[in-house]
Amino acid sequence: MDRDTAIGGPHDHFPSTRLSLLEAVSTGLPNEALEHVIALYWKPVYRFIRFKFRKDNEDAKDLTQSFFTSALQRDFFTRFDPAKASFRTYLRMAVERFAASRHAAQNRQKRGGDVQFEPIEDQAVTTESPEQVFEREWQRQLFALALDDLRAHCEASGKQLQLRIFEAYDLAAAERPSYADLAAQHGVAATSVTNYLAWARRTLRDLVTERLRGVTSGERELRQEMRRVWT
Amino acid sequence: MNKILVGLLLGLILGAIDGATAWFYPEAHSMIAGIMVGSSIKGMVVGLLCGWFARKVQSTKWGIAVGAALGLLFAFLVAATDTVNGKHAYLEIMLPGFVVGAIIGFLTQRMGTPGPATRGTL
Amino acid sequence: MDLSDSVLDHLRHIAALPDLTGTRYDLEAEIGRGGMGVVYSARDRQLDRRVALKILDAALAGEARLIARLEHPAIVPIYETGTLPDGRAFYAMKLVAGARLDHYLARSPSMAERLRVVRRIGEALAYAHTTGAIHRDLKPQNVMVGEFGEVYVMDWGVDAVAGTPGFRAPETLLDQSSDIYSLGALLRFVLPAARLPALAAIAAKAMNAEPAARYPDATALLADIERFQEGLAVEAWSEPRWHQLRRFASRNAVLLWLLAAYAGVKFLLFFLWYL
Repeated sequence: MDRDTAIGGPHDHFPSTRLSLLEAVSTGLPNEALEHVIALYWKPVYRFIRFKFRKDNEDAKDLTQSFFTSALQRDFFTRFDPAKASFRTYLRMAVERFAASRHAAQNRQKRGGDVQFEPIEDQAVTTESPEQVFEREWQRQLFALALDDLRAHCEASGKQLQLRIFEAYDLAAAERPSYADLAAQHGVAATSVTNYLAWARRTLRDLVTERLRGVTSGERELRQEMRRVWT
Repeated sequence: MNKILVGLLLGLILGAIDGATAWFYPEAHSMIAGIMVGSSIKGMVVGLLCGWFARKVQSTKWGIAVGAALGLLFAFLVAATDTVNGKHAYLEIMLPGFVVGAIIGFLTQRMGTPGPATRGTL
Repeated sequence: MDLSDSVLDHLRHIAALPDLTGTRYDLEAEIGRGGMGVVYSARDRQLDRRVALKILDAALAGEARLIARLEHPAIVPIYETGTLPDGRAFYAMKLVAGARLDHYLARSPSMAERLRVVRRIGEALAYAHTTGAIHRDLKPQNVMVGEFGEVYVMDWGVDAVAGTPGFRAPETLLDQSSDIYSLGALLRFVLPAARLPALAAIAAKAMNAEPAARYPDATALLADIERFQEGLAVEAWSEPRWHQLRRFASRNAVLLWLLAAYAGVKFLLFFLWYL
């Protein structure tokens, strides 16, 4: 039976295919691990550096880039101890150390002159700490990646209709349409809308979990991170 | 111990003590032995009835009430049949008899093993 | 395109909702959230009744089996266990209408009522311990008092539970004795501000940092509470002489009143006789 067409059937969630971060590193696939980490963390790290060190766009990008190319090249993964902190916290602290040392070095070079801080437009409208911004961006990126995965999955399995209904309802920026409206608009029964949404949400949940699996040390950390993500 | 037996013993002891308090009245000194025996018998009868009642009804409140009533009744009978210096000592016999009856009624509720199957409540 | 904050929050919310497709339940509302999962109220379509659904991490499915083994009036019965289409484990249990213990205490119940609740909890614990089960996270939030006074101990523990500060025993490895500690903490919690020294001593003994110095089991703790309620000396407290006398007087108040009445009557009559 094609698992993906069994809408509403039991146990049609994705089998876990992704290795955990530490499994990937230990089985000699550090590049794959790094890829997952960069995909999820590039934006949060960039935002964190902008907020925490008040860097302008270009400086923040450069710092982010050099963090991922230099700091992560060394024994970054092997020094990670899941017993001490989550990978998310470990990485954020590494960014902080890395950016702080670069920041200090830059300031030394500029010694004698006035250090100009770039005004940050976002900072005026948020009361969040840089750490909160980092976590928020991390969640945003996690869901953005999972949505990309969902789109790819729907494309590959011919479920464009399910995707369109899901996007129209769950990604609506303003008021959500009613199920009846969606059914009329897409020429399906209202019960199908319910089923399609249930399928898409379930699949999205699985895809988020898979993305998380790739950047956590194992089941325990995965569960802890999942609890932080679900509200 | 059986509640009836407890009632008898308590009646005997408390009756004897109650009777012995007559010693505080000099005019009763000559009759003290008779008073104590009579008072003990009265106590034992009240105790026996209270013990029997306690086997039937388990209630402190009713135990005290029945004991007090029986104490009063038997004290009246004693006071009515006896005279001290030619007059009936109703108050002097019935009032303590009333309280001693209440004490016996209370203690038979609290002490001794409850009677066989036929338990009831009021 | 970046997801807006509102869309992100919505996605986080819908991804967390249990997918009940293929089960006999319709989701109603979230009613609680604990360390091990989220509890929802739901309707059982087959039996047309409301139930509580606890959604757990898949790895913790053993919790349901553990609780399903426990059959006691003060332990919420489990109706069914299963796995959701999204892979999470769930169990359906009786939906208890009532108040959590901490909320219930806000209604200022009497001391006798408070102790009745603690005794019910203790009885559930004593029973569970005989089956080898340990609660691990006994606290007011895990006790429900139903509208007819029935008491339910919920959220029976799993290894992953770390306990709650204030109610958790200090030892690293939790065992039955740690539950005794939590029961003591719960007793202390239910006592009103003006504490009775005997009850405070019972709680303190149960909460001894050294497990060996606590009550050996829940039954022993309950027996001490019972002794307190009957006006007897409790094991946990060597009371001062004045307290012994006061306890004697209050236990034998009726008899003392009757004896006082007898003495009063005798005195009165003696003086009346010689008037």
